[in-house]
Amino acid sequence: MTDNQNPLSPHLQIYRWHISSLISITHRISGVINLFTLILIFFWLLFLSLGESNYELFLLMINSFIGKFILIGFTWSMNFHLLSGIRHLVWDFGYGFEIKTANISGIIVITSSLVLTVIFWLLGRGLI
Amino acid sequence: MKETRKWIFHRVGAVIMAPLFVWLYFSLISLSTKNYSEAIYFFKTPLFEVLTIALFFVSFFHAKISLSEIFEDYIHNEKIKDVANISVLILSIIVPVIILILLIYKI
Repeated sequence: MTDNQNPLSPHLQIYRWHISSLISITHRISGVINLFTLILIFFWLLFLSLGESNYELFLLMINSFIGKFILIGFTWSMNFHLLSGIRHLVWDFGYGFEIKTANISGIIVITSSLVLTVIFWLLGRGLI
Repeated sequence: MKETRKWIFHRVGAVIMAPLFVWLYFSLISLSTKNYSEAIYFFKTPLFEVLTIALFFVSFFHAKISLSEIFEDYIHNEKIKDVANISVLILSIIVPVIILILLIYKI
Protein backbone atom coordinates (compact mmCIF):
# COMPACT_ATOMS: atom_id res chain seq x y z
CA MET A 1 0.00 0.00 0.00
CA THR A 2 2.96 2.39 0.56
CA ASP A 3 3.85 2.68 -3.14
CA ASN A 4 0.30 3.54 -4.22
CA GLN A 5 0.57 6.32 -6.80
CA ASN A 6 -3.16 6.79 -7.53
CA PRO A 7 -4.15 10.47 -7.76
CA LEU A 8 -5.99 11.99 -4.78
CA SER A 9 -9.23 13.95 -5.23
CA PRO A 10 -9.06 17.55 -3.95
CA HIS A 11 -11.19 18.20 -0.89
CA LEU A 12 -14.50 20.02 -0.64
CA GLN A 13 -13.76 23.11 1.44
CA ILE A 14 -11.49 24.58 -1.24
CA TYR A 15 -14.25 25.16 -3.79
CA ARG A 16 -17.05 27.61 -4.39
CA TRP A 17 -20.33 25.68 -4.68
CA HIS A 18 -21.60 24.76 -8.15
CA ILE A 19 -24.28 22.34 -9.27
CA SER A 20 -21.54 19.98 -10.43
CA SER A 21 -19.74 19.89 -7.07
CA LEU A 22 -23.00 19.69 -5.13
CA ILE A 23 -24.07 16.62 -7.13
CA SER A 24 -20.62 15.08 -6.97
CA ILE A 25 -20.52 15.05 -3.17
CA THR A 26 -24.21 14.14 -2.87
CA HIS A 27 -23.51 11.16 -5.13
CA ARG A 28 -20.93 9.91 -2.66
CA ILE A 29 -23.04 10.62 0.40
CA SER A 30 -26.13 9.00 -1.14
CA GLY A 31 -24.00 5.97 -2.02
CA VAL A 32 -23.01 5.57 1.62
CA ILE A 33 -26.65 6.06 2.70
CA ASN A 34 -27.64 3.34 0.22
CA LEU A 35 -25.31 0.97 2.05
CA PHE A 36 -27.32 1.66 5.22
CA THR A 37 -30.49 0.94 3.24
CA LEU A 38 -29.05 -2.43 2.25
CA ILE A 39 -28.43 -3.13 5.93
CA LEU A 40 -32.04 -2.12 6.67
CA ILE A 41 -33.25 -4.55 3.95
CA PHE A 42 -31.03 -7.16 5.58
CA PHE A 43 -32.90 -6.58 8.87
CA TRP A 44 -36.19 -6.64 6.96
CA LEU A 45 -35.40 -10.19 5.81
CA LEU A 46 -34.04 -11.12 9.22
CA PHE A 47 -37.31 -10.11 10.90
CA LEU A 48 -39.22 -11.96 8.18
CA SER A 49 -37.28 -15.12 9.02
CA LEU A 50 -38.04 -14.70 12.74
CA GLY A 51 -41.74 -15.38 12.24
CA GLU A 52 -45.02 -13.52 12.09
CA SER A 53 -45.07 -11.70 15.45
CA ASN A 54 -41.55 -10.34 14.98
CA TYR A 55 -42.35 -9.26 11.44
CA GLU A 56 -45.47 -7.44 12.66
CA LEU A 57 -43.24 -5.55 15.09
CA PHE A 58 -40.90 -4.61 12.23
CA LEU A 59 -43.86 -3.39 10.14
CA LEU A 60 -44.98 -1.29 13.08
CA MET A 61 -41.53 0.32 13.26
CA ILE A 62 -41.26 1.15 9.56
CA ASN A 63 -44.82 2.48 9.45
CA SER A 64 -44.23 4.89 12.34
CA PHE A 65 -43.64 8.55 11.49
CA ILE A 66 -39.87 8.26 11.91
CA GLY A 67 -39.86 4.95 10.04
CA LYS A 68 -41.64 6.43 7.03
CA PHE A 69 -39.41 9.51 7.13
CA ILE A 70 -36.31 7.28 6.99
CA LEU A 71 -37.73 5.04 4.24
CA ILE A 72 -38.70 8.03 2.07
CA GLY A 73 -35.24 9.49 2.62
CA PHE A 74 -33.64 6.17 1.67
CA THR A 75 -35.82 5.98 -1.45
CA TRP A 76 -34.72 9.47 -2.51
CA SER A 77 -31.09 8.55 -1.82
CA MET A 78 -31.32 5.54 -4.13
CA ASN A 79 -33.14 7.47 -6.85
CA PHE A 80 -30.58 10.25 -6.71
CA HIS A 81 -27.63 7.86 -6.78
CA LEU A 82 -29.16 5.92 -9.66
CA LEU A 83 -29.89 8.99 -11.81
CA SER A 84 -26.57 10.62 -10.97
CA GLY A 85 -24.93 7.28 -11.79
CA ILE A 86 -26.52 7.32 -15.24
CA ARG A 87 -25.08 10.83 -15.67
CA HIS A 88 -21.67 9.44 -14.74
CA LEU A 89 -22.05 6.58 -17.24
CA VAL A 90 -22.84 9.07 -20.00
CA TRP A 91 -19.67 10.95 -19.05
CA ASP A 92 -17.74 7.67 -19.15
CA PHE A 93 -18.77 7.36 -22.80
CA GLY A 94 -17.38 10.84 -23.36
CA TYR A 95 -20.59 12.88 -23.69
CA GLY A 96 -22.05 15.84 -21.80
CA PHE A 97 -18.90 17.52 -20.53
CA GLU A 98 -19.79 21.05 -21.71
CA ILE A 99 -20.49 23.27 -18.67
CA LYS A 100 -23.96 24.17 -19.89
CA THR A 101 -24.91 20.53 -20.62
CA ALA A 102 -23.50 19.37 -17.28
CA ASN A 103 -25.49 22.03 -15.42
CA ILE A 104 -28.72 21.12 -17.22
CA SER A 105 -28.22 17.37 -16.66
CA GLY A 106 -27.47 18.16 -13.01
CA ILE A 107 -30.75 20.02 -12.56
CA ILE A 108 -32.56 17.16 -14.31
CA VAL A 109 -30.98 14.68 -11.87
CA ILE A 110 -32.04 16.69 -8.79
CA THR A 111 -35.63 17.34 -9.88
CA SER A 112 -36.33 13.90 -11.33
CA SER A 113 -34.93 12.17 -8.23
CA LEU A 114 -37.53 14.06 -6.17
CA VAL A 115 -40.34 13.40 -8.65
CA LEU A 116 -39.42 9.70 -8.86
CA THR A 117 -39.49 9.39 -5.06
CA VAL A 118 -43.02 10.84 -4.94
CA ILE A 119 -44.13 8.50 -7.74
CA PHE A 120 -42.59 5.48 -5.98
CA TRP A 121 -44.45 6.21 -2.77
CA LEU A 122 -47.78 7.10 -4.35
CA LEU A 123 -47.75 3.99 -6.58
CA GLY A 124 -46.12 1.65 -4.04
CA ARG A 125 -48.54 2.60 -1.28
CA GLY A 126 -51.48 2.25 -3.65
CA LEU A 127 -52.49 5.90 -3.32
CA ILE A 128 -52.92 6.38 -7.07
CA MET B 1 -7.23 -6.29 -8.29
CA LYS B 2 -6.06 -3.98 -11.07
CA GLU B 3 -7.63 -0.54 -11.05
CA THR B 4 -8.91 -0.77 -14.63
CA ARG B 5 -10.69 -4.03 -13.90
CA LYS B 6 -12.20 -2.54 -10.72
CA TRP B 7 -13.43 0.41 -12.76
CA ILE B 8 -15.13 -1.89 -15.29
CA PHE B 9 -16.69 -4.17 -12.63
CA HIS B 10 -17.95 -1.09 -10.83
CA ARG B 11 -19.79 0.15 -13.94
CA VAL B 12 -21.06 -3.27 -15.05
CA GLY B 13 -22.40 -3.84 -11.54
CA ALA B 14 -24.12 -0.46 -11.61
CA VAL B 15 -25.89 -1.22 -14.91
CA ILE B 16 -27.07 -4.63 -13.63
CA MET B 17 -28.29 -3.19 -10.32
CA ALA B 18 -30.14 -0.12 -11.60
CA PRO B 19 -33.32 -1.85 -12.88
CA LEU B 20 -33.24 -4.44 -10.08
CA PHE B 21 -33.16 -1.81 -7.35
CA VAL B 22 -36.08 0.06 -8.92
CA TRP B 23 -37.97 -3.24 -8.73
CA LEU B 24 -36.85 -4.07 -5.15
CA TYR B 25 -37.50 -0.61 -3.66
CA PHE B 26 -40.89 -0.43 -5.32
CA SER B 27 -41.75 -3.94 -4.06
CA LEU B 28 -40.61 -3.18 -0.52
CA ILE B 29 -42.67 0.02 -0.40
CA SER B 30 -45.67 -2.08 -1.44
CA LEU B 31 -44.84 -4.78 1.10
CA SER B 32 -44.68 -2.21 3.90
CA THR B 33 -48.49 -2.02 3.76
CA LYS B 34 -49.00 -5.79 3.49
CA ASN B 35 -48.91 -8.61 6.04
CA TYR B 36 -46.48 -11.40 6.90
CA SER B 37 -47.84 -14.08 4.54
CA GLU B 38 -47.77 -11.73 1.56
CA ALA B 39 -44.13 -10.85 2.29
CA ILE B 40 -43.27 -14.57 2.58
CA TYR B 41 -45.10 -15.26 -0.68
CA PHE B 42 -43.13 -12.47 -2.39
CA PHE B 43 -39.68 -13.59 -1.25
CA LYS B 44 -40.48 -17.27 -1.80
CA THR B 45 -41.25 -16.71 -5.49
CA PRO B 46 -38.18 -18.48 -6.98
CA LEU B 47 -37.31 -15.68 -9.45
CA PHE B 48 -37.58 -12.95 -6.78
CA GLU B 49 -35.58 -15.05 -4.33
CA VAL B 50 -32.71 -15.48 -6.80
CA LEU B 51 -32.83 -11.80 -7.86
CA THR B 52 -32.69 -10.59 -4.25
CA ILE B 53 -29.70 -12.79 -3.43
CA ALA B 54 -27.87 -11.77 -6.64
CA LEU B 55 -28.65 -8.12 -5.99
CA PHE B 56 -27.08 -8.30 -2.53
CA PHE B 57 -23.88 -9.87 -3.85
CA VAL B 58 -23.52 -7.37 -6.72
CA SER B 59 -24.41 -4.30 -4.65
CA PHE B 60 -22.01 -5.13 -1.81
CA PHE B 61 -19.28 -5.70 -4.38
CA HIS B 62 -20.09 -2.28 -5.88
CA ALA B 63 -20.09 -0.75 -2.38
CA LYS B 64 -16.74 -2.35 -1.53
CA ILE B 65 -15.03 -0.85 -4.60
CA SER B 66 -16.62 2.59 -4.02
CA LEU B 67 -15.84 2.73 -0.31
CA SER B 68 -12.20 1.82 -0.91
CA GLU B 69 -12.05 4.75 -3.30
CA ILE B 70 -13.57 7.05 -0.67
CA PHE B 71 -11.11 5.76 1.97
CA GLU B 72 -8.30 6.47 -0.49
CA ASP B 73 -9.39 10.12 -0.62
CA TYR B 74 -10.12 10.80 3.03
CA ILE B 75 -8.03 8.44 5.18
CA HIS B 76 -4.34 9.30 5.11
CA ASN B 77 -3.07 6.89 7.73
CA GLU B 78 -2.15 3.70 5.85
CA LYS B 79 -2.82 1.39 8.79
CA ILE B 80 -6.28 2.80 9.48
CA LYS B 81 -7.02 2.64 5.75
CA ASP B 82 -6.05 -1.06 5.64
CA VAL B 83 -8.25 -1.82 8.65
CA ALA B 84 -11.16 0.09 7.07
CA ASN B 85 -10.73 -1.75 3.76
CA ILE B 86 -10.59 -5.17 5.41
CA SER B 87 -13.64 -4.40 7.60
CA VAL B 88 -15.67 -3.40 4.54
CA LEU B 89 -14.48 -6.48 2.66
CA ILE B 90 -15.61 -8.75 5.51
CA LEU B 91 -18.97 -6.94 5.76
CA SER B 92 -19.52 -7.15 2.00
CA ILE B 93 -19.01 -10.92 2.06
CA ILE B 94 -20.84 -11.76 5.31
CA VAL B 95 -24.08 -9.82 4.70
CA PRO B 96 -24.87 -11.33 1.26
CA VAL B 97 -23.99 -14.83 2.55
CA ILE B 98 -26.37 -14.41 5.50
CA ILE B 99 -29.05 -13.16 3.10
CA LEU B 100 -28.49 -16.27 0.98
CA ILE B 101 -28.86 -18.55 4.01
CA LEU B 102 -31.91 -16.66 5.31
CA LEU B 103 -33.76 -16.72 2.01
CA ILE B 104 -33.01 -20.32 1.11
CA TYR B 105 -33.27 -22.04 4.51
CA LYS B 106 -35.14 -19.79 6.92
CA ILE B 107 -37.90 -18.06 4.99
